[in-house]
Amino acid sequence: MPELTAKLVEIFSLGDIRAGILDLPRPAWPEPGQYLPAQALSATSEILPTQLFRVATETERLALAPLPASWQPGDTLVTLPPQGHGFQLPRGARRVALCAIGVDPNRLLPLIPLALAQAATVTLFCDPQPSPDILSQIPSVVEVAPLAALNDNLTWPDALAADLNRDALPRLAEILPEEKLSFEGQVLVRTDMPCHGLAECGVCAVETRHGTKLACVDGPVFDLNEVLHVAG
Amino acid sequence: MWLAEDAPIRKQDLVLEKLFVNAAGMLGFAPDPHIMPFLGQLGAFITNPISRRPRKPAGSRCCLPFPGGFLLHTGLPNPGISRIIRQYRRRWAAAPLPIIVHLLAEEPGTLAEMIRKLEGLENVLAVELGLPPDCTPDQLREFLAAAEGELPAMVCLGPEQIPTLLPTLQELNPIALHLTQPRGALPGPDGVLISGRLYGPAVFPLMLNAAREVIKTGIPVIVDGGVYEKGQTQAFLDLGVLAIGLGNQLWGIGQNL
Repeated sequence: MPELTAKLVEIFSLGDIRAGILDLPRPAWPEPGQYLPAQALSATSEILPTQLFRVATETERLALAPLPASWQPGDTLVTLPPQGHGFQLPRGARRVALCAIGVDPNRLLPLIPLALAQAATVTLFCDPQPSPDILSQIPSVVEVAPLAALNDNLTWPDALAADLNRDALPRLAEILPEEKLSFEGQVLVRTDMPCHGLAECGVCAVETRHGTKLACVDGPVFDLNEVLHVAG
Repeated sequence: MWLAEDAPIRKQDLVLEKLFVNAAGMLGFAPDPHIMPFLGQLGAFITNPISRRPRKPAGSRCCLPFPGGFLLHTGLPNPGISRIIRQYRRRWAAAPLPIIVHLLAEEPGTLAEMIRKLEGLENVLAVELGLPPDCTPDQLREFLAAAEGELPAMVCLGPEQIPTLLPTLQELNPIALHLTQPRGALPGPDGVLISGRLYGPAVFPLMLNAAREVIKTGIPVIVDGGVYEKGQTQAFLDLGVLAIGLGNQLWGIGQNL
């Protein structure tokens, strides 16, 4: 698998995490929800690669997070090509619900410009409330609502993208009662992926309706129907 | 060739043409040259641990970092020996390096059954036995007796098992001993202690010490060492190990082995 090198040109805060701009050529950019295993070229103290995800709403530069505390602007990173399955926004979607369930909505933000570009209306449902620097990333045409409001609006979206930790998967069925779902949904499942698909090590295993899948290769974005009503 | 030139070669002696192997659990069930450019530097490919029946991932599976390394707790998920053979036998046969199949020793009877299934498969060089953490000397005897067959069988021991099992192992004189990463425990996210194997540079001194003890028995030793520098490799070579097992170094990006 070809390794790529890129420079970390800028670092900024996004809520509680460090994010950065990487000068990778556009064909090597991960899709929202895909991940980029990366390691600093000069750092001998890094024991495992960091899995970087697209964040923010910027479209001209590649914004990624979470960055380790030791990375600094100007550092050279080595990365693999984008890994795993990302979000696929249905082309016909006109009412897009983004749901951050117990996590910051950073990894959903890159979907906003994609949805707006196809003339969709976007609502971000989240719990907890995003920090001001995250809110400043969100265009004013996007409505931001508490997660609790989603249950009263389940007839509204025609597409849904959610982001949550693996241990929160059992909550999905409470938030999204299956009998009320009439839209396509995808879920980004956050979990450690230390081997990035090399070892089938099982740390990132996710229970789905079709058995155990690995987030590092089969995900980390899964169809909502695959992970609804499973133990996590 | 990593052979002692003055010793006769037994029928089941283990011969590795390169100094490094992978530690079990680090590269999956079969080599894949497309995503493993380092295969040419390995003397053998060791599979992920395989059980007789399918195993699900542990409920508390996780990767817990600590200064100098990380703890991996997975439950050793795998689809079971029969499905593994169906799925991977062709890739094993076509692999550019020999295969060592890591078997989870659960019961002597099922171990023998698993080994019979592997006999005759092309390019399978040997099996290695992953022992239960609480394995007793009597169980070790039973497992090694059950493993007798066409394929050479080596035994995997963590450093914490050496005081209990090394004397018996010396008596049984297996084809080789694979010193694997030590087991440890760390508090998980909810404070409950989670056990697993430890990886990273922090384990090197522990493994070097363990290798020094084991090498005295005369049993050929493969050691998973937390090796990150040439000097550490040389320290193992000076002891006279048969090979060095690489762990998470293989997961690194932009690293030179």
